[in-house]
Amino acid sequence: MAEWREYYQNEDDEVEEDEEDSGGAYKISGRDSLVFLVDASKEMFIKGEDGGPSNFDMTMQCVRSVYTSKIISSDKDLVALVFYGTEKSKNPRNSFKHVYVYHDLDSPGAKHVQDIDKLQGEKGAQLAEKTMGSGETSLGEALWCCSNLYSDIKLRLSHKRLMIFTCRDDPHGGDSAKDRQARTKAADLKETGVVIDLMHLTKPEGFDVSLFFCDIVSPPEDESELGLQTEPCRKLEDLQKRVRAKELKKRAQSRLTFSLGEGVNLAVGVYVLARTATKPPAVRLYRDTNEPVRTKTRYFHAHNGGILLPNDMKRSQVYGKKQIVMEKDEVDEIKKFDDPGLVLMGFKPMERLKLHHHIRPALFIYPEEEQILGSSCMFTTLLLKCSEKNLFALCRYIPRRNTPPRFVALVPQREELDQSQTQATPPGFRVIFLPFADDIRTVDAHVGPTASDEQVDKMKEIVHKLRFKYRSDAFENPMLQQHYRNLEALALDMLAPEPIEDLTMPKVQMMDDRLGPLVQEFKDLVYPPDYNPEGKPAAKRKPAESGGGGAEKKPKVEMSEEELKNHVEKGTLGKLTVPVLKDACRQFGIRTTGTKKQELIDALTMQFSK
Amino acid sequence: MSALVLCMDVGFSMSNSEPGQEPSFEQAKKVIQKFVQRQVFAENKDEVGLVLFGTDGTKNGLAKDGQYENITVHRHLMMPDFELLEEIESELQPGGQQADWLDALVVCMDLLQKETMGKKFERLNIVLLTDLNVQTSADQLDVIIDSLKKAGITLQFFLPFPVDGEDRADGGGDGPGPSAAPARPGKGLSRQQTQGLEMVKNIMTSLEEEDSLEEVYTFSDALQKLSIFKRIDRRPMAWPCQLTIGSSLTIRIVGYKAVTEEKVKKSWAIVEAQSHQRDDVKRETVYCLDDDNETEVQKDDTIQGFRYGSDIVPFSKVDEDQMKYKSDGKCFSVLGFTKQELIRRHQFMGSQVVKVFAPRDDEHAAVALSALIRALDSLKMAAIVRYAYDRRSNPQVGAAFPCIKEKYECLLYVQLPFMEDLRQFTFPVLENNKKFTPSASQLSAVDALIDSMMLVEKDEDGESVDVFKVNHFPNPQFQRLFQCLHHRGVNPDDPLPPVEPWLKRDLERPQAVSARCQTALQDVKTKFPLKVVVKKKEQKTSADVFGSSADEPDAKKVKVDEETEFNLAEIAKGNITSVRLSCLKSVQIDAFAYALLTAPAHNVLHQSGNAELFNSYMQSLKRSVPDRNLQEFWDLLIQDALTLISKDEVDGSTFSKQDANQFLAFEQKEEVQAAPVQEDTGDVDDLVSVSCLFGCFNDKHIIYYICECNSDL
Repeated sequence: MAEWREYYQNEDDEVEEDEEDSGGAYKISGRDSLVFLVDASKEMFIKGEDGGPSNFDMTMQCVRSVYTSKIISSDKDLVALVFYGTEKSKNPRNSFKHVYVYHDLDSPGAKHVQDIDKLQGEKGAQLAEKTMGSGETSLGEALWCCSNLYSDIKLRLSHKRLMIFTCRDDPHGGDSAKDRQARTKAADLKETGVVIDLMHLTKPEGFDVSLFFCDIVSPPEDESELGLQTEPCRKLEDLQKRVRAKELKKRAQSRLTFSLGEGVNLAVGVYVLARTATKPPAVRLYRDTNEPVRTKTRYFHAHNGGILLPNDMKRSQVYGKKQIVMEKDEVDEIKKFDDPGLVLMGFKPMERLKLHHHIRPALFIYPEEEQILGSSCMFTTLLLKCSEKNLFALCRYIPRRNTPPRFVALVPQREELDQSQTQATPPGFRVIFLPFADDIRTVDAHVGPTASDEQVDKMKEIVHKLRFKYRSDAFENPMLQQHYRNLEALALDMLAPEPIEDLTMPKVQMMDDRLGPLVQEFKDLVYPPDYNPEGKPAAKRKPAESGGGGAEKKPKVEMSEEELKNHVEKGTLGKLTVPVLKDACRQFGIRTTGTKKQELIDALTMQFSK
Repeated sequence: MSALVLCMDVGFSMSNSEPGQEPSFEQAKKVIQKFVQRQVFAENKDEVGLVLFGTDGTKNGLAKDGQYENITVHRHLMMPDFELLEEIESELQPGGQQADWLDALVVCMDLLQKETMGKKFERLNIVLLTDLNVQTSADQLDVIIDSLKKAGITLQFFLPFPVDGEDRADGGGDGPGPSAAPARPGKGLSRQQTQGLEMVKNIMTSLEEEDSLEEVYTFSDALQKLSIFKRIDRRPMAWPCQLTIGSSLTIRIVGYKAVTEEKVKKSWAIVEAQSHQRDDVKRETVYCLDDDNETEVQKDDTIQGFRYGSDIVPFSKVDEDQMKYKSDGKCFSVLGFTKQELIRRHQFMGSQVVKVFAPRDDEHAAVALSALIRALDSLKMAAIVRYAYDRRSNPQVGAAFPCIKEKYECLLYVQLPFMEDLRQFTFPVLENNKKFTPSASQLSAVDALIDSMMLVEKDEDGESVDVFKVNHFPNPQFQRLFQCLHHRGVNPDDPLPPVEPWLKRDLERPQAVSARCQTALQDVKTKFPLKVVVKKKEQKTSADVFGSSADEPDAKKVKVDEETEFNLAEIAKGNITSVRLSCLKSVQIDAFAYALLTAPAHNVLHQSGNAELFNSYMQSLKRSVPDRNLQEFWDLLIQDALTLISKDEVDGSTFSKQDANQFLAFEQKEEVQAAPVQEDTGDVDDLVSVSCLFGCFNDKHIIYYICECNSDL
């Protein structure tokens, strides 16, 4: 009955009402795969300057961070770790010498991470020496072996990437036969859609890419793209950044038409560059075997027990005590205003984009030359002009079919590179969602006395002492980190999870030290001696102003049947609070379908309107 | 919460009208209707009463000895409901009498006072709709004004004409579209009306000090404003907390959600189609093992687990709660201060903006917060803070920006991303790419286009005015929903109405701008060649082939396994049952190679002369059924009697009708052999290549299946 499950799952989703797509519903057409091909020659293990980590160590840290980030963000992706230039050999058919497949292509798990940890540091180097050793190098054999890894995978692979980590620019020491073999094998790999990147590391006399590796790696995605990064990575951060920039395949959330009017249409891809990462949903496991179980949901007729097909069900809402019924199709139709796309309304100066007009994380658009030729040129011109005139474009945005429109601001963003010539901000338009009148709440501003210049100046000193450079990737989510540490501990049978560093906590000690006497000086300026801002405000006062005193506990008052009936009759049940309604249901032994306010009201109405 | 009495004149003068004008009665009735409609759908808890005067009968608490006659309390104070809407629709009729509107006002006051006794209302209000065309006795006026003041009752008048000759129609100015002219000019009023108008002014000015006449509206003006469903209006909850800087600097604060995406309050309940009863539909969820028999297991026999990469880790709810990250309660702690320019607008996360004030009764906190706000403002900096709503919620990192307005100052708090939230994608260069570099003429064409499409214009005083203030528009989703709900509620059997014209207009480019940019757009059109790339492999839907019938709503697309490359639901855009789809999906076929060919579909093949091709394909498909676990799929063919094309149908066929009929049947043995369908449906599309498209018609459905005639052919 697999079909039923499929079927009703869809139904369920519908009832939940449109969960917006901000989570990034990617149309995935296969799995991404990434092979780390790491040089295990002696040179890789040489300690860095001033006792810094060796190239091998840096690589392992980098691989580890990719493993853990894959586990968190895309656990379906496949990753492999292969060493070349080893003494010992280990590969599926053991047909290749001096190639050691440490991890076969697989989605990484806790075990994999642990394995990598074992290869780090002094001890790691010893372990590597013991298990693999350093020996002859044949990159050709290694590449061949990797191509077998890919072909042994039965799953559909959407994106195949291979990263070579090495500090040797001439791995075969002038052996031209081996060079040739490596080139041939690299070409074969590229033929099958594998992208080969070089993550070259420092070497005392400098790494010369043109000696050999320029023929091995894939050409840049697009002719204008900066070709090989000619500077080798010195620092771990650089390496990590470089790996991270390549490791994720960018995917458009959707491809849409951007219409300027009068049939002037270009194609754009919509990308999610930031979405709130959440804890993945739990899976149910069968207690006896720990195997995952599936759920099936069906709808039955309560009286005759027959299975209800979609046509046997309708949708309803109650307003003003009246039930209004619609077909499911009609419910969808109501949400349809126009076909999906971006439609240009006009332009406004940037200062019209208000800071507080924020309702959702932004999206990003980039032209899709493959859909409409000429899109990129038109798009670039718009980008240049908007940026030059300091304007944003106002558009109507319908992301999908049967989705109501939203207005968005397209804010131009020109490309920026960081010091290491890596792209820091990509070129394109940011899509900022704008609120409708309904989304803006009426807040009665509190008007109070304002500060004097002296007070403000003192605060400026405080602000000055505590300034820092904000970076958007500086904070990890402590909740997620803890969750994954817990899982890691359980998966690896560790006694306790590794402690996390909660970066969201203020560094109180450091702040106090930096501020010194400033805090007291400021307090003396603004607070009278007997004022204690940490104390409770003086007595719960006055009749609660505009929703102020939600916390007040009212004594439980039982409601008489009379009163309830009165409420039902007048339709004023909605005025009662949820606890009161719950009490009333309990008091009269009324069964409810749930504890939502509407459900409680429905139950009471049914009981007392008879 | 407020209580409000609608007091409408239904006397005979209200039915009079000048030629071509709608009678005042009809206009006033519409005002009431729209108003009640708004209240019903906004589901606010205001109580509404309805008093009619000029009715033939008399029904009110004050009627005695011929006093207060022809005044009817139609509905006592209660929350408005659909019943009231229906009553207004069907029962609200013009009366044949006249009654003094001051008397009616007294009845309303009486009603308000008696029925609000012992309840708390923030506001008591009486809305009078009348043409004032009746003799009134003004001797009690002072007493009435006095008691209105005492009881704190406010008044609103709705009249057929403006209160003082000049046009007040554009008073509020936020109604859509151009304001209609007032119904009648200020002159031409009857003696009673002139007198009445004086009294209205008298009352309104004595009740309020300033702007008293703002509360007098014309019917047409009111109607226009009321045609917009009330925006969803929520009182934000106060969030008291303390802003801390280091360990010893604390400022008491109160936060309010100022901007957040408002969702429709109610969700749709599933009801049984015939009875419309919710209880008739029972939902059942069962757990089953991922084995061939889908063995069901009890919920109690399952435990919770999480994926950790390739591992699944059992992790009970209890353990999870025990080990999970715990924050120490609500907080608004400063982590440091940073330049505002380092926080980019596109980095804003979450779905809200919080305004932070000092508590109302704490002037010391106000001064301290003000010092912070002003310091940040003059340094162009913002505070980076750790924000936790309460003990149960997860902490965020966000930015607090200073905001100084004429009347107040506050901090604006917005959430910022965590490292885990970000995706670092690299995009190819645009600007320095030779292929895409615009020419000078292209640049100037776009320049001109932008200038012609500015949504900010200069007014007479040189002030720039935003002509397209999106944040003043009501959310069209809600407007449309309520429109449809109301329509369906009143006319259960009618189809849904079209989108209201004004709502459509709101979603289009303003007409003036549209007209202004024509030339520039044409120029852009000629300067930029844009060509749609036609892809042969592009998925086709019935709509692509036949064009979708214009107003048919797009069937919500069936969710198909994420990994299915070409979306099956896209292909079957008609009303195909997903039973079939999902079944197909669970079949692993290396050639996604079939057309579910129903009888009419054969015709397509006849025309294309492909019968033989098709037949040989079907045979090869049949041979591979046992090997490739296609039994389930084959059963579908049987079910639909999709078999070989026989000689009877197409001359070229080498099969008799009987052959065709028997073709589908497998020997019993084979059926038993049929291996269970493999469940890993991850890569159905794996080896699909699309080479020809068969169009198939079923009497009910239009189905397209992409069909590959694989190497067997």
